[in-house]
Order: sequence, then structure tokens, then C-alpha cells
Amino acid sequence: MTKAHQTDQKQLARAGDPLPVKAGKRTNPLAHVFDELIAFAQSRSLFMLHYCTGCGAVELPPAMTSRFDMERLGIQPMVTPRQADILLVTGYVSVKTLKRVILTYEQMPSPKYVIGICSCTVNGGMYWQSYATAKKLNDYLPVDMYIAGCMPRPEAVIAGLRELIENIKNGEGNAWQDYYRRYDYYLGNQQRLFGETWQTPTDIISEAEHYGQLGPETRGEHTALLEQHQKPLEALDIKLSIAELEQQRNWRSTG
Amino acid sequence: MTKGKELSTWLDKVLSELEGIEFRRKSSRRLRVDVAADALPALLELLRGRASYVHLSAISCVDWPDDGAFELVYHVWSYELQSLVSAHTRIPREPGVYISVYDIYTPAAFFERDIHEMFGVYFEGSPDMSKFILTEWDGPPPMRKDFDSEAWVNDHFDWQDYNPEWLKEIVAQGGGIAIRPDEQRFSRK
Repeated sequence: MTKAHQTDQKQLARAGDPLPVKAGKRTNPLAHVFDELIAFAQSRSLFMLHYCTGCGAVELPPAMTSRFDMERLGIQPMVTPRQADILLVTGYVSVKTLKRVILTYEQMPSPKYVIGICSCTVNGGMYWQSYATAKKLNDYLPVDMYIAGCMPRPEAVIAGLRELIENIKNGEGNAWQDYYRRYDYYLGNQQRLFGETWQTPTDIISEAEHYGQLGPETRGEHTALLEQHQKPLEALDIKLSIAELEQQRNWRSTG
Repeated sequence: MTKGKELSTWLDKVLSELEGIEFRRKSSRRLRVDVAADALPALLELLRGRASYVHLSAISCVDWPDDGAFELVYHVWSYELQSLVSAHTRIPREPGVYISVYDIYTPAAFFERDIHEMFGVYFEGSPDMSKFILTEWDGPPPMRKDFDSEAWVNDHFDWQDYNPEWLKEIVAQGGGIAIRPDEQRFSRK
């Protein structure tokens, strides 16, 4: 908050008028104060996982590095989906890639945001006729924001990210909840493209329960189909055979 | 390059004496040979074994649905002559089966697998005819001319509608470019 803004408020208070209340804003100054603080902190510390699918990834190095410097907005690249907040899909998504994008998205912890960059994620772009690329990204994932262009310049990317920051700060970046609330719809589209045996390792319905996002459209005919053939995940069988350790073990058991 | 010149004149002579071969020298470094399907492996043997064309650059496939044929083009390159021979052959579209040249050129396995996937041509004797790039594809071979990509796309995907207010106005005015390029401020007159 700037100083000028503070003095404005003080002058208003002196004049005896009630503070102007925006629609949706609190009247009690302490209500939801932590929520707003958390939203502010979240909006200013975004870790971005860029899934470089198409040509749009070319515009990201200048956006990230010293020329445009994304980090001044608190955005920095992250190498693992487990610690990322934003999934940046930077171009055409082939059907094979889309499976990996969905797996990656489901590995990210909530709240998470998806940004589709380039025309290809909006409507197929110049690959609109191609049998191999998915057309609408928001059929398969809840997209917070599209940045159209072929390709969008770093200015456009940063403008889009700023808007996302504003949305998160105002509590409007809630597309990730949509994936849990309407999982049946998204799963239906995925099954239409990948076949009925499509299954991801993540149990979305349990996650929806965990985040309190279970809605009437979370379960449906498509999730029923999934449950029919779903194989439970098994832990990988990892064996370590280090000769020294085994020797020590043998000494202990004998001695 | 004298040796190269000798070799290429020798090759021209041999090819002109062979029956059932139509060859055209497009330039000093490009040669097109049209050959019957059963004679192609022998021609490749000759080119590789005797005429130093040791590098198979690519096998390309062209679909001619009206003629009921697939055209296979074998591009072979000689490092000594610095020249490319493209050997064209046609095989019937049905059943679309041909012999592998894997025994002559090992890299052929790679190209044949690709053609099998994209055009559905089966190569007998090729080491691996399993799926290659389109591992998760179960439709018809997509590079055939009779595969309608647009229909397939309309069948499998939905389109995003985009009708913002500003676009409606432009469409109502007849659409198109508002300021013609030659009327623009910076254009030369």
C-alpha cells in the first residue's frame, strides 16, 4: 500500500464518512485477514513449471532472464511438478503429449494454475487440421488463462502472468477447484480421446475429498467406467544390494 | 575427381544397357532411375556394391490412389561421387506388401518402420514392423490420401467458440481489414 493511499484513508476517516465498501469486500477490517495475507503471499511466490511442448517456449528464456525478468514478479522456474504452482503449456499439445501433461498436472499440489500460451492451445492454431494434436486444452484441464498469439511476445506473457497474479490476490484464480468439482466432465473428454482404459496414477476423487471440493459432478458415468478397470497402484519393488551392508547384517545375525 | 567421372560414365553406360530401367540424369550430381519393383533390390546391390552409393538417405513413399499404387523412392548418396540417385518404384496399393532392403542398407529398418506406420505398407524381412512414433494411434494409416484428417478431427475434438463484442461489430461491417495496406500512413505511394 502506498503512502498516498494511506493518507487518503485517514482524511476520509477524519471527515466522518464511512469507508467506501467495494462489492465483495469485507466491512469488518479483520475478517478473512489471514486468507488475504495467504492469497497475497501465494500470488507473489509462484513457481512455474513450463511444459515446453511447442514453439512458444522460445519466448520464455527472454521473459525469465534479465531483459524482462520474471522474478521481479516472484515467478521463477521450477523443475519438478511436486513443487510447482503454475503449469505453463507453451504450444501445440499432441495427443501423446497431452497424456503426459495431464499426468504432470495431477502431480502438482493444489492450488495450481494452468496457462495456455499460443494459439495452438486455444483452438489448435495452425495445426487445426492435424489428427495428432489436441485442440482445446480446457477440455482436458481447467485452464486459468490463455495467452493468445503465435507466439506471444514476452510482454504479452508477462501481462498475462500479472493478470493471473491479480486473480490469485483477489481469490479468483479457482480453476483448479473446477477439476475436482467437475472431474467427470474432464475425465469424459480424456476417455473420448485416449480410450476407455485411460487411467492416471493419481486418485483425483480422494484428492477432491481431501481439499473439500467434492461436488455433485465429481462422480459420474465416466468415473464409474474408470473404477471398473482401475488397477490399484503398487509400490515399486526397490532392492538395494550393497555387499558391505549385507556383510554387516550377516555379522550381526551370527554374532 | 577423374575417378569419380569415370565411375559415373560407367554407371550411365551400365544403366543404359540394362533392360526395364528408365533413367534420367537431371544434373551431374542427380540421377533418377525408374525401376520395376522386383528389380529394385538388385539395382540397389549394384549401386552399393559397385558404384559407391553406400549411404541410404531416406525412403520416401507417395500414395497414388487413382493409380492404385504406392511409389517408393530410395535416395542413395555416394560420398565419392558426391551425387544422389533416387530410385523410384511402384507397388500395388493392395495388399501393399514389399521386400525389405534391410540386408543391403541397415538404416532401411528405420525408414520402413516409419512408412509402415504412416502408409500401412508392409515390408517383408524388415526386423521390426511394430509401432514407431504413433505408439498410441489406432486409426487408419494417417498419411494415406484417403485418410480425411479434417473429418477425423471434427469427429474427435470440439471447437472453441469465440464471439467477443468487438469481433461482432467487425463482422457486421463486412469483416476484413479496416485500413488497406496502401492507405496506411507509412505506406509508399
